[in-house]
Amino acid sequence: MIFGRWRQALTLATRDYFHEWQISVCFVLALAAVLGPMMVLFGLKFGIVGSMIDELRQDPAKREIRPVGSGHYDRAWIETLARRRDVAFVVPRVRAIAATMDVGSNHAGRILQLEVIPSANGDPLLPAGTPPPSGMRQVVLSASAARKLQVSAGDGLDGSLERRYLGRRERVHLPLTVVGVVPARYFSRDALFASVQLTEALEDFRDGHQVPALGWRGSRAGQRHYTGFRLYARSIYDVAGLEAAFEKSGVKVHTQAADIELVRRMDRTLSAIYWAIALIGLTGFSLSLGASLWANVDRKRRELAVLRLVGFRTGEIVWFPLAQSVYTAVLGWALAVVIYRAAAWGINLMLAPQLDAAQQVCRLLPFHYGVALALTLTASVTAALLAGLRAARVEPSEGLREL
Amino acid sequence: MVLHDQSLPIYELKEVVKSREAEGYGFRLRVPALRIFPGEKIALIGESGCGKSTLLDMLAFVLQPTSCDTFRFQVEKRPQDIAKAWKRHRLNRLADLRRRHLGYVMQTGGLLPYLTVRENMSLSRRVLGMKDDGTVDSLARELGLQRHLNKLPGELSTGERQRVAIGRALAHHPAIVIADEPTASVDPFAAEKIMSLFMEMVEARNITVIVASHAWRHIKRLGLRRLSHHTRRSGDGQMAETVVNG
Repeated sequence: MIFGRWRQALTLATRDYFHEWQISVCFVLALAAVLGPMMVLFGLKFGIVGSMIDELRQDPAKREIRPVGSGHYDRAWIETLARRRDVAFVVPRVRAIAATMDVGSNHAGRILQLEVIPSANGDPLLPAGTPPPSGMRQVVLSASAARKLQVSAGDGLDGSLERRYLGRRERVHLPLTVVGVVPARYFSRDALFASVQLTEALEDFRDGHQVPALGWRGSRAGQRHYTGFRLYARSIYDVAGLEAAFEKSGVKVHTQAADIELVRRMDRTLSAIYWAIALIGLTGFSLSLGASLWANVDRKRRELAVLRLVGFRTGEIVWFPLAQSVYTAVLGWALAVVIYRAAAWGINLMLAPQLDAAQQVCRLLPFHYGVALALTLTASVTAALLAGLRAARVEPSEGLREL
Repeated sequence: MVLHDQSLPIYELKEVVKSREAEGYGFRLRVPALRIFPGEKIALIGESGCGKSTLLDMLAFVLQPTSCDTFRFQVEKRPQDIAKAWKRHRLNRLADLRRRHLGYVMQTGGLLPYLTVRENMSLSRRVLGMKDDGTVDSLARELGLQRHLNKLPGELSTGERQRVAIGRALAHHPAIVIADEPTASVDPFAAEKIMSLFMEMVEARNITVIVASHAWRHIKRLGLRRLSHHTRRSGDGQMAETVVNG
């Protein structure tokens, strides 16, 4: 019975809301006019800062730490680095002059001289799904090298290199298999990624040392030293700390720490600006919503008085403005979403030429839509409840003879 | 509905007072003693502003008296102490009494603009959970509203709207119907017709009725008991008091 009257109050509220559709449309428009721009604003902040941070996170180059000039590092020291928690990947590098190879393929007419870069499992430059080069035969090509050689994963290559040994020129050939290609956005030069073992073999060959695994003759190699390393920090936030650690131990390094700090500072500044605007916007939004719902309840006093006259209880009457405010909130939010989607589409389209395919200047997650709806509902239900209780508290006779 | 002993009053009021003050001008309605018995037809006649509506609102439990010695209401076996209910802020108890026992016809209809005539007339039944048993249709026939049942109040004339309001006040078989100037907003000819029809209908249903009107002329023929009332003005003109007895 009581449930029945609640339901009747809801039904009456619904009938009234759609009967007075012109006024309902005004309330919905007023709400969407405030909420829509706020969503666009937040979408811009989230999209701009988000894509900058994503770019930083996704671009392994930002996490790279390169030694400046050539040094003198032994295997044990490199292994100590590899065990650090803030290091994601490190491999030793042989002398740059020794780390090259002439590479030809059946499809391309010319032989390319390629820079050979040591790689291993966990190399951030290798896209997910690409196996790391291993052993003496498997290599990964950079996109530009693969294009020039007209090969792709699975194709064979002919690698060769030359030395002066015992007064004679000597050239050895090495059949190779391409196991993967590094996308151009990660590495733009012509290069060949090989296992550390293979780069060491190239250096040994050129130094006149023997490489038994490949049947290359020469003298026995002594204690090996590396002139450099390839190192990537675990995250962009570890770069500055690693840089400081290297400088402290006397190794001069080159990093993107300054770039990273710039973006992080921008994030903080943009966030501060956004929150300032959002706070003002939210205050205005709550006030406008509260005022219009309050005014609506005031306008409805006579009808609410009639409902009391036919015997609706106070608690049941409150459902009336409550239901109407929920309609306004949900419809206003839906319209705001439409406004936002249109604006975001326009903004993204306008700025598309300056962006990567996946980047969006204006972007919201489903979660953000949910937060917007929850905020709107909370604000409107609070306003309606306050106004409704006030309307219910005044004596039923008041409002009866207005108009 | 089982009515109680016809010799006991439905309303019993003693020293019920409602005071109001606005812009330094005071107004007071005092009811030293009033008893209304089942089946009585009561008329409250006077110029507007003399406190008719104030008394009707108190009798409909929508206006709280400023003070009262006794305010008892009895339709069923148990008498209800309205004075106590107000004092204890038992608004839901008052709403329940209103819903079950009262019909109210307002000066300007008080129809809900978003409901059809049929729905407006059924409203008082629906809040009681009463099923549609043809009552609304037969009321509409008596009131000459059959053609309008599916229209919205906005499409009706003032007189027709008042008839819908009368239908709504009667549809749930109340014990009492209170009408506040039900014909004030229609032309005198129509007013007379509507008032006669209204009185016929309440008489046929043995409903206690309390009508306020500023014109005695066209209701005196209808056999109503007129409550006596006097309005006095204080010496300095700052205070008006209406005293109602009956």
